[in-house]
Amino acid sequence: MDGSPAGTAQDSAAAAQAEEVEDPAAIAARDQAWTEGLMAVRAGMVGNRWVRLLRWVVLAVVVAILLVMARNIATHGLAYFLQTVVYGLAGGSLYALIALGYTMVYGIIELINFAHADVVSFGGFISLYMVTAFGFKEGVVNGPLVMVGLVFITAATMLLCGTLNVTIERVAYRPLRNAPRVSPLITAAGMSFVLEGVMFLWKGPVNNHYPDLIPAGAVTALGTTVRTKDALVVVLALLLMLALDTFVTRSKLGKAMRATAQDRDAASLMGIDINRTIAATFFIGALLAGFAGTMYGLYFGNIVFDLGFATGLVAFTAAVLGGIGNIRGAALGGLCIGMFEAFWNSYFVSAWTQVMIFVILTLVLLFRPSGLLGMRVPDRT
Amino acid sequence: MRLTSLKGLALPVAAVIATVACGGGGTTGGGSNKGTIVLASDYPASGGEASTGIPEQQAVAFAVSQHQTIKGFTIQYKPFDDAINGVHDPQKGAQNATTMAGDPSILAMVGPNNSNVAKAMIPILAPVPLVMLSPANTNECLTKSFPYCNPAPSELRKGSTNNYFRIAGTDDVQGPAMADYAYKTLKFTKVAVFSDNETFGKGVADNFQKRWTSLGGTIVVRNDYDAKNTSDFKTYINSAKSGGAQAVYIGATTGNKPCIFKAQMKGILDVPLLGPDGFALDPQCIKDAGDNAANIYGTTAGSDPVAGNDPNAKPVIDAYKKVYSKPSDIATYTFQSYDCASLLLDAISRAIDDAGGNKPTRAQVRDEVAKTKNFKGITGTWTFDQNGDITTPVFSYYKSDPGNQADGEWKYISSQGVSGS
Repeated sequence: MDGSPAGTAQDSAAAAQAEEVEDPAAIAARDQAWTEGLMAVRAGMVGNRWVRLLRWVVLAVVVAILLVMARNIATHGLAYFLQTVVYGLAGGSLYALIALGYTMVYGIIELINFAHADVVSFGGFISLYMVTAFGFKEGVVNGPLVMVGLVFITAATMLLCGTLNVTIERVAYRPLRNAPRVSPLITAAGMSFVLEGVMFLWKGPVNNHYPDLIPAGAVTALGTTVRTKDALVVVLALLLMLALDTFVTRSKLGKAMRATAQDRDAASLMGIDINRTIAATFFIGALLAGFAGTMYGLYFGNIVFDLGFATGLVAFTAAVLGGIGNIRGAALGGLCIGMFEAFWNSYFVSAWTQVMIFVILTLVLLFRPSGLLGMRVPDRT
Repeated sequence: MRLTSLKGLALPVAAVIATVACGGGGTTGGGSNKGTIVLASDYPASGGEASTGIPEQQAVAFAVSQHQTIKGFTIQYKPFDDAINGVHDPQKGAQNATTMAGDPSILAMVGPNNSNVAKAMIPILAPVPLVMLSPANTNECLTKSFPYCNPAPSELRKGSTNNYFRIAGTDDVQGPAMADYAYKTLKFTKVAVFSDNETFGKGVADNFQKRWTSLGGTIVVRNDYDAKNTSDFKTYINSAKSGGAQAVYIGATTGNKPCIFKAQMKGILDVPLLGPDGFALDPQCIKDAGDNAANIYGTTAGSDPVAGNDPNAKPVIDAYKKVYSKPSDIATYTFQSYDCASLLLDAISRAIDDAGGNKPTRAQVRDEVAKTKNFKGITGTWTFDQNGDITTPVFSYYKSDPGNQADGEWKYISSQGVSGS
């Protein structure tokens, strides 16, 4: 899956050709519409000289943008730059956590789980409910007690989200596992609407204030302020991602997940309980979602019933950017998108931020369809 | 003018006399009964928006009760409801307009409450021609021609003479209203300006910026955010901070997160948030801002005679409260609605003179409304310009007052007339 933009037309066409030769039966057997589509677009377009021209145009535009940004960075000074990096990292690590859920599920059952980001917002709502029930408010209770309470609330939220996601998988995806691929996509979109509907009925259409419970406090260096909040989000997210990576690469269940992702039938023959492994994937993805939802509330101070839609789209973009199915790729993609967003907002006209994120997605898909770190899709393709 | 001059002094007396006259009059009464003139209104009067619409209706009914006969004509009031499922609905407004157009006894209409309803009603009522007077519409495109107005006011009226008037200040003056206040009263010189990038929000932010620059102030940063996809405002706050902003102006409605922006300013940039009636007076804004809700300043179109304790308005307000005593009987624009009804009745009175004491035509009433000069209402003194707008719109200023539940967590500061942009 060489996605190098530097490859010549013939090279790429040949590469695509070679891939088909290597594994023709599998391609015919399975509906790898996603990968195939991308490869077809690429193989078809790379040979076109207009696309080569387009490449230069894109390159020129990117260089121009970078030059303008460099100038803007120079005028705003170092402190502003570093502060942007801090906010970009914090926002990016939340995207990364959500992107992981997309990428894990895609890696194992090739499903874009549209409901994932709604599980995130559901996590936010559950934890907000508990925060309110515990009577935690800004300025009323503070100190170590709140931190202990928050740890408990976060853990409970993660478990509840995990249970929810496993239930969704059991109800909406497992019965359709051997159905045409579009069916679970539709149930996924359906689950997304169901979750949003439930949250809408629960809290209504308004923004819900999430109390700012993380202790105030900040370190300032080089004119840049890092608040407890910012540091906490980044550090905890990185720790969780590290734990996930270790789990997937080292543990037995992690191995089973990877085996199932590679070849479900073979894994089954080796005695791996496929249903259990897939359920575990959904559970772990939702643990991260529950954590992200709670952090989202604490960090941004607000949650709304349909936040999953916008956030999910960006997180999904992050997963594709990193290489869908690739866990480290999703983490990297999330951080990149977060950084990009922060930089664009800080140095350019921010009404364009979302547009630019999806322009990036389009460009990545055109010139490097497998993402930054390469797509991980089952071998049978 | 003649009629309203009575109002201040002898209100209860006038009401009593009118009641007696009406009771004794009947259909076969003295030669003074020349027929019936109907004043209509169009407000959302059911569901959630009834909390605004019903008090507006009551205010019109109250004004009519003060003038039950005018120069021998019996005045009646006919309210229309433009809400469907509790939300104002332009189509319903258009239906109401058609009904009104077909009823020759209706000579004038108060309302509507919402700009998009007005937009649907004007094309139907302008050719008729039935005069409309709104207490609450602030969309500038209903009367003023800007490049982004679609349709332009003249197209909206289908070439007919203007039949649409209002006493609410328009959105394009709300930005300047806050600029005046922040520059002259709060003495700020450097502000950051943001908007939710919607027609209303971006419009007020642009006009704030224009006025701010012409006053001599500095804009340290100007940016428009995509409200649906933005929940992280820290990069914007950082840009305002690094420019040394003394305040942040955000043109947005509450749902588009200006007060979440304020919440996120906590610990990074502790300066006031300024904004339009998109979030001013909204309790949801205070909730959104959490423990950083202090120091939010907002404008609303129109004066606030209740909070402002205006001595000129007090007799009318007290008399109204005698009839409608619940706290929910007074909402935004209630007394603006009263003023609209009084102004229309005054114009009808003058139109009767124009018709030589006979029943005036709708065109005569419309022309008399257009000629209104210095009509002293209780929420302001009104003169219309050629567009149908008042010459000196009044704006009120409020400041957030978190925790003060009795006043809805917003404190009235003052009102002042603002020259247009």
